[in-house]
Amino acid sequence: MWISVLTAVTEQIVNRLITLEPSLRQDLRDAEHRVLAVTLTDLNLSCALHYNGDHCFVYGNYLDSADCHITTALDTVSELKDPSQLTRLIRANKLDLQGDIHLAQAYSKAFSNLKIDWAEHVSRYLGDAGAQHLVNTIGQGKSRAQKHCETFEDIFTQLCQDELNVTVHPLELEQFKSQTRALSQHLSALEQRINALD
Amino acid sequence: MKEENRDTTHFGYKTIESNQKESLVADVFHSVAAKYDIMNDFMSFGIHRLWKRQTIACSGVRKGHRVLDLAGGTGDLTAKFSQLVGETGQVILGDINDSMLKVGRDKLRDLGLVNNIEYVQMNAQALPFPDNSIDVITIAFGLRNVTDKDEALRSMYRVLKPGGRLLVLEFSKTDNEALSKLYDFYSFNILPTMGKLVANDSESYRYLAESIRMHPDQDTLKNMMENAGFEQASYQNFTGGIVALHRGFKY
Ligand SMILES: C[S@@+](CC[C@H](N)C(=O)[O-])C[C@H]1O[C@@H](n2cnc3c(N)ncnc32)[C@H](O)[C@@H]1O
Repeated sequence: MWISVLTAVTEQIVNRLITLEPSLRQDLRDAEHRVLAVTLTDLNLSCALHYNGDHCFVYGNYLDSADCHITTALDTVSELKDPSQLTRLIRANKLDLQGDIHLAQAYSKAFSNLKIDWAEHVSRYLGDAGAQHLVNTIGQGKSRAQKHCETFEDIFTQLCQDELNVTVHPLELEQFKSQTRALSQHLSALEQRINALD
Repeated sequence: MKEENRDTTHFGYKTIESNQKESLVADVFHSVAAKYDIMNDFMSFGIHRLWKRQTIACSGVRKGHRVLDLAGGTGDLTAKFSQLVGETGQVILGDINDSMLKVGRDKLRDLGLVNNIEYVQMNAQALPFPDNSIDVITIAFGLRNVTDKDEALRSMYRVLKPGGRLLVLEFSKTDNEALSKLYDFYSFNILPTMGKLVANDSESYRYLAESIRMHPDQDTLKNMMENAGFEQASYQNFTGGIVALHRGFKY
């Protein structure tokens, strides 16, 4: 059931990106009405992406045939951001690909091209000057943001593993708590910065 | 030949004559149609959306397919299928109850989904389609309301194309004792009260709870599908078996 929650959230995020970034629609043209399946061997989990030209459906526990099927481990997934890495990973036996490699490349390229103009989107709410200021402030705190991402990634990996283990080890819970604490500290710092802009 | 008046079936926990069931079920859904979607979210804490997501993930629906969302009611699955089959495909929202169909039609129109959906009033026991004409059939929370389930399954098998599949999403049996007790308490005490408060209709929600308990368990339904001709019949449990998704193919 957690997988369904996870795919539902992912689907929301991907589709939000598609509405925010028109170039994604363009880049995903080759993926229209085709299914890319990804099996994560270490999590024993298969998901799939099905883009219909407007909306991207994210399936969990996908068991059907796909136009392209990638089998790999969770930590290799982040390397897929670079389309040129695909063939290297296949040669290194870190990734198995069946079907049309162009479909995998289309997704990889689309998401690596993603350069969202946050200033433009935020300006709708804060006005141009405020938005630029906010974006600069956030830009300066990039390393901090990266840290957030890492914390998120840790929590995400942890969550996936928890789903497999079913019960949570007390140590894992402690680690999770301290990460959540760190994250909320980062968030309140960010909140203060945003408040300072008002 | 069967004598009609000796032929009995279940309506919740009551035993009634078969020919009465259809109109009693109709009364239930005429009565809940307007509030059906709100109650669904409310009673299942929104979890029915996750069960439906997984049904779509298992449907194999692709562009150009002809899909039947049987007992489709207010059209949650139809809405997604309509986007997946594209302009070259077709989705038929089939239901025996015109009040439910009307609520479904209005909802889907409001969502801007108009081009590839057909609304057809039909009885699952006698589907109004030629043999081998549909790619995928889904029946979500509908089969337990059907009077003769075996006949309905045979009818679905008949209209499916070779290579086509049937998905049955339905309440089932949980084998977790604690969960089962909690669920019983919820169904027989809380649910009818919520039905009364929100929809002013505790009877319909009592029927819901009872009909769930009378529905065949996972293995029985799998056997029924096999008897109707389906191959590779299998099921997966959701939420500890409170709900199960059965899948079968026609080759
Ligand atoms: C609980 S609703 C499910 C609606 C929808 N599929 C969903 O999951 O939200 C059950 C539906 O089955 C329909 N139904 C009951 N008996 C039927 C039959 N014999 N043939 C077709 N539909 C039937 C009812 O009218 C009702 O709309």
